[in-house]
Amino acid sequence: MTYALTEVETAVRKAARGAGYHWGMADDAARATRWLCAAGLDGVGAVAALLSRVDGQDRAALAPATLGGDWRGLSGALCPIAAGTALSDSAPFWADDGKRMAGVILPLLLLPFAASAARRLGTPVCVEWDGVRAVTSGHSTGLVSDDRAMTMATAGELRVHISGAVEPPLPTKARAAPSQADWALLNRFAQRTYAPETEESRLKGAGAGLSDND
Amino acid sequence: MKTSPQTVPPLRPPSQVMRLSRLGSMHQCRLSFMRVLTRRMAAEGWAFSRPVFDIDDKGVGHAVYVATGPERAYSLVAFAHDLPPGQRSDRVIATAWDATFTLFDGIPTQADIDRLSQNIPLQEAGRVNEKSLSVSRANRSVRLWEHVVDTLSQGRQPDPGMIDAVGYLMRTTAVYGSGKLGASDYEAVSERPELRVPFQAEMLSVYLTRTFVRDLVNHMARARGGNMAVDMAPEIARRLGIGNSTGLGLGPFIINHPRLFNNWIMARETAIQRVRAIETATARQIADFNDILHRSRALVETWRSQHPVQVARLARLRADLDVLQAHLAGDGLSAAFPWDHLIRWSEPALSQEGQELLASLILEPHAALVDDLAQSMADTDFDVTFIDGAMPVSRVRALIEARFGWALALDWSARENCARAWYVSEAKLEPRVGERFEEPIAPYETPLAPARDAVAAHVALRDWADGKPVAAFLLRHPEHRQSIRRAQISATAPYCEIQDNTIAADMFPVDLLRVKLAFFGATHFDPRSDRWVRICMFGNAPYPEDLAPENADFWVYPEVRP
Repeated sequence: MTYALTEVETAVRKAARGAGYHWGMADDAARATRWLCAAGLDGVGAVAALLSRVDGQDRAALAPATLGGDWRGLSGALCPIAAGTALSDSAPFWADDGKRMAGVILPLLLLPFAASAARRLGTPVCVEWDGVRAVTSGHSTGLVSDDRAMTMATAGELRVHISGAVEPPLPTKARAAPSQADWALLNRFAQRTYAPETEESRLKGAGAGLSDND
Repeated sequence: MKTSPQTVPPLRPPSQVMRLSRLGSMHQCRLSFMRVLTRRMAAEGWAFSRPVFDIDDKGVGHAVYVATGPERAYSLVAFAHDLPPGQRSDRVIATAWDATFTLFDGIPTQADIDRLSQNIPLQEAGRVNEKSLSVSRANRSVRLWEHVVDTLSQGRQPDPGMIDAVGYLMRTTAVYGSGKLGASDYEAVSERPELRVPFQAEMLSVYLTRTFVRDLVNHMARARGGNMAVDMAPEIARRLGIGNSTGLGLGPFIINHPRLFNNWIMARETAIQRVRAIETATARQIADFNDILHRSRALVETWRSQHPVQVARLARLRADLDVLQAHLAGDGLSAAFPWDHLIRWSEPALSQEGQELLASLILEPHAALVDDLAQSMADTDFDVTFIDGAMPVSRVRALIEARFGWALALDWSARENCARAWYVSEAKLEPRVGERFEEPIAPYETPLAPARDAVAAHVALRDWADGKPVAAFLLRHPEHRQSIRRAQISATAPYCEIQDNTIAADMFPVDLLRVKLAFFGATHFDPRSDRWVRICMFGNAPYPEDLAPENADFWVYPEVRP
């Protein structure tokens, strides 16, 4: 079964919130996943694995400590959403020298943020880790990798820098085809954002009546 | 004619336009999505056909209606059901309906119909693919349906008074679009000229649904009355629209899509500004305006509501129309900058309902001047969501102050200022608004109070040096990321934020629904509670077989005998 990209975005936004991200970060996680799916990559698989990995952990310890220098989380691991948003936000600051990170969890999730930085900087950006080399202009993305490295749980060292042209670009996809297990996992995280039903809320909250026989 | 050089009137400021009570007083206008659709279809000479109408004497079966434009065809696939009255609910949590629909991209094969017949009648419990552009359902208005079938089956026409009292034979209880239940994303079709303007697929679905409902009621009358039965007279059928009953599901949309919402408001405000900048009204424009004003009164006369808030607003609106008529009988529109003078006059003279009706009406004689703005109502910059982290803290603070200065002065700890909380219920996954201090909902709050959240971000920014890049702040304070993003959007989208407290104790949630429905082109807003409203869509519109350039534009205003 395929899913609309809007469905992916909606599901991930709720799931990321359910897994403890602030809403604004959940927005970015959702857009990043959508971007990966549109590039034909398994964004849902990556984000499902990320949420399982970071659930219950102190998110601040998984974020870069400062904008400058190399990035490494306090805990040794780095959340790709925290690192990715910081990477996109601060693109002009690292454009000249590039950025090095250690211990990025699910590094595939960093690509959409590099794409955002590329759009912002108006030049392609390259992301490299453990045998993966991806170049993105923000509009199109080329990738050299094997499947194992693409979906790896944690990157040793990851480098981001300004790059030459994208080639060959990946074909874009209008639909996502996540695994049912990953989709179900997203829904379980999303479930945490729903308020338990009470009779009072049912009657007061939504507003419509019980009968439509008029 | 001698005139002093007058500067172009400014756009009305967000502090005026974006108040909830004003948004909740908005009316349809030339730029409303229904009217954009009918104008386009008529101008391009769309063809309509009904290749399938396979419905039995109990009213069970399916039908297909095809609308063919210059490049592509779209089909409404309608399933009619025999629904026991006990299952007829307009809540989104209903599980059965009188009729269910999808707008299909192209012309469906039998295999498509078979697949859809297994899914569309189930609505949320079913699944569609990218060949569906919408999924919707409708219930009969029981009181009117029975009357119409009964009279037609006996060879008589229904009572026009009853037709006007209800306004529709069926009302939709949800029209799902972009990406919902597996349907195509808007982004996947937004480059098609006919679908670029927001909600065109959904509006086409409703337009064709109206035709199906007329055909179905004629069919059911024949099934009951046999040779005795007659078809509904065209002049009566034309009065009927499609109703819609909506709860809070629509409410969060305009808050969650700040740039898109800005584009809607900006288009209408720009249209108003362009008309106000006209120095001289031609005799033709004045005549057209007076004609539409006259017909608009007829529309307001048939607008009914039992809700005390709307009853009071309607009484004021009718009085406003008298005041307006009297005002126009004086100087009229002969002075320089007549439309600008009229708008300025209206601000102290009319209620907000009256002011907004007038603001919509002055656009009517100026198609060539304003209709191009419909194209600007889409938000197709899908990727432009990044935060400019290099922006200095002082600039971010200034952006928040510009948009939410009023909110900085509010005591957000006072109960009345944060009495409500928006949340999504476990039972049906639909947005609701509840009482923060009476229900256990705060932990589940969804971020639909941008003013409160912007103030919290502003407070957190106070200790940061002016020159620091906001990226550094966000690294430390990811909880304010959404507010910073919205503040940056507001720099280029002045109408992106509602200028009111969306969690105040006295907030009237229907205001949020009304503005969106007005942009759709809905009429006859009838709040059934503070968070549930019924409306009419395509009332008085020409049916597909009659649609032509000469009736595609002003159909919303009933023809009145001189």
